[in-house]
Amino acid sequence: MQPIKSLVDFIDVRLGVKDLYNKELHGYLLPRNVNAWYTLGAVVLTLFTLQIVTGILLLMFYVPDAEKAFASVQYIVNEVPYGWLFRMLHAIGANVIMIALLLHMLSVLFMGSYKGRREFTWLTGFIILNLTLGLCLTGYLLPWSQLSFWATTVATDAAGAIPVIGEWLVEFLRGGPTVGNQTLGRFFALHVVGMPLILLGLIGVHLFCVKRRGISIPPFGPDYRPSEELPFFEHEKHAGGIPFFPNYFVKDAAVISFFIAFMLAIIFYAPGMFFPESAFQPADPFLTPPHIKPEWYFLWAYQTLKIFPSEIIGLGVQGAFMTFLALLPFIDRGPERRPAKRPLFVTCFVLSILLFLAISIWGHYS
Amino acid sequence: MIRSICGLFVLMVLALWSMPALLFAEDTVCIQCHGGQEGRLAAPVAEWRTSIHAENGISCHDCHGGDPTDFAMAMSPERGFIGVPEYTAVPDFCGRCHVGVAAEYKAGAHGKAIENGGAQCVICHGNHAVQRASLDLINEESCTRCHTYDRAAMIKLSLSETDTMISSVDHDLERLYRLGFAVDEMKGSLFNQRNRFHSIFHEVDVERVREETTGVQGELGKIVKEVASIDSTLGQRKLWGSVVIGLFILAGV
Repeated sequence: MQPIKSLVDFIDVRLGVKDLYNKELHGYLLPRNVNAWYTLGAVVLTLFTLQIVTGILLLMFYVPDAEKAFASVQYIVNEVPYGWLFRMLHAIGANVIMIALLLHMLSVLFMGSYKGRREFTWLTGFIILNLTLGLCLTGYLLPWSQLSFWATTVATDAAGAIPVIGEWLVEFLRGGPTVGNQTLGRFFALHVVGMPLILLGLIGVHLFCVKRRGISIPPFGPDYRPSEELPFFEHEKHAGGIPFFPNYFVKDAAVISFFIAFMLAIIFYAPGMFFPESAFQPADPFLTPPHIKPEWYFLWAYQTLKIFPSEIIGLGVQGAFMTFLALLPFIDRGPERRPAKRPLFVTCFVLSILLFLAISIWGHYS
Repeated sequence: MIRSICGLFVLMVLALWSMPALLFAEDTVCIQCHGGQEGRLAAPVAEWRTSIHAENGISCHDCHGGDPTDFAMAMSPERGFIGVPEYTAVPDFCGRCHVGVAAEYKAGAHGKAIENGGAQCVICHGNHAVQRASLDLINEESCTRCHTYDRAAMIKLSLSETDTMISSVDHDLERLYRLGFAVDEMKGSLFNQRNRFHSIFHEVDVERVREETTGVQGELGKIVKEVASIDSTLGQRKLWGSVVIGLFILAGV
């Protein structure tokens, strides 16, 4: 132990890491009744890290060229040692991230954690969710399979419904009139550089907001009282709370372990869950596969466009819903956070989830 | 009420399901005219609807010629109408599409005996209601119309074993393909062996059938070995995966 202590002391006298540990980790206190839902942020962060690591490994062998992309993915899966594992972790990990992100957002909504001057935290989180959807969309094209090609064709085609700029926007997204090598090039650049850089920045701002404003108290238990908004900044302290490290960190690690176990269970026992047959066929612009469907997290948007008589109405409804969700902390300004005392909100919350599920299932079978 | 809605839904699904065939049928004047008639002139339409040809979009004019878009000229020889071929002309009639099979048939005992009333295509396969060819076509009831069944039974036994093996390999390759494995080479090999196997379907020499099926089975065996090797890798992955999953669950608990 002596060499480790000497090393810590060596670093400490230069960077003051012990002080940092005492203030930011052990001294960072969380509410005593903090629950498992609060760990989802750490789960998402871990999964994003995994995406970056596996993404870098895939990048070593992937070729962003329409002629070679599919073969390079085949090469990764079949020839590169453990390439199949990196690919599966990356592709299935993207789906698990979406699950964790949605659960994170739903828990924040249910507990009203966006309240109490946390608009910036909510907004950055909401943009992160949308950016992740963008990363999923751009990443979807890269294997250059039939599924990639046609799902991207359908997704970019939807932008054409926007009045005036629609056609221009479709061409801008695709880099030409149809999905092709130029689309692959720009989606690749956005997926591996552009979007991850913005995402990292946004995660930094999100964490800063969380840390600076302080963790919100879970709105449960007999002692909970809604707090009034003050006209000045105040960090929400939790005197007598539990230390983030090691106490809450252990809880974070436990939930992260469960999520990774869940992801690995899909990889090893149901690897085909997110891969329809068209995901294994090379892209063919002259052959439209039957029943082409987007990923499960886009099904609601896909079906919404089909429900309304014109796509522009569908896009309008989607836009209105997303704008409402983004601006929710500015609209729902009451201090009450206890779900039992917010019957209208909870009813809308439950109905929205049911509607999301119903439209998604409808989209899947339509 | 719910039962009525369900019934209506099932009817709608059935209607939608049969729409492509109906739309296709309406496209040709042959079906429109014969479909509206009675007796032997209408029978081919109903039979054809149940056939593998209908399933694959092969319609009347594809075999019988003529113009499927013109009522007046539909059966005109000027538009290539052939009508019903002579008994001995049937192999060539079918052989316009089934080129390889026609050649194999002609080289076999059935083909050589056609002038003396030997069986031609429709005797075994049927005409308008033709189904996907399978070993079920070789059966006592069918074969004994012309000769005894013993030799046919021996041929069927040899073919059945290989047929089962091909189906099993095909199923395995499809499964591995859906897991992302590169099986193109094995699929190519299976394709070749399946063609080789199909080439003896019209052979009636028992020894030759046995010899060929043994050869096909030998080649299939190589694919089976490769599949087994991949399955073993998958088994190992699953084993190690289970260990890692267990460790993560343990860490979580």
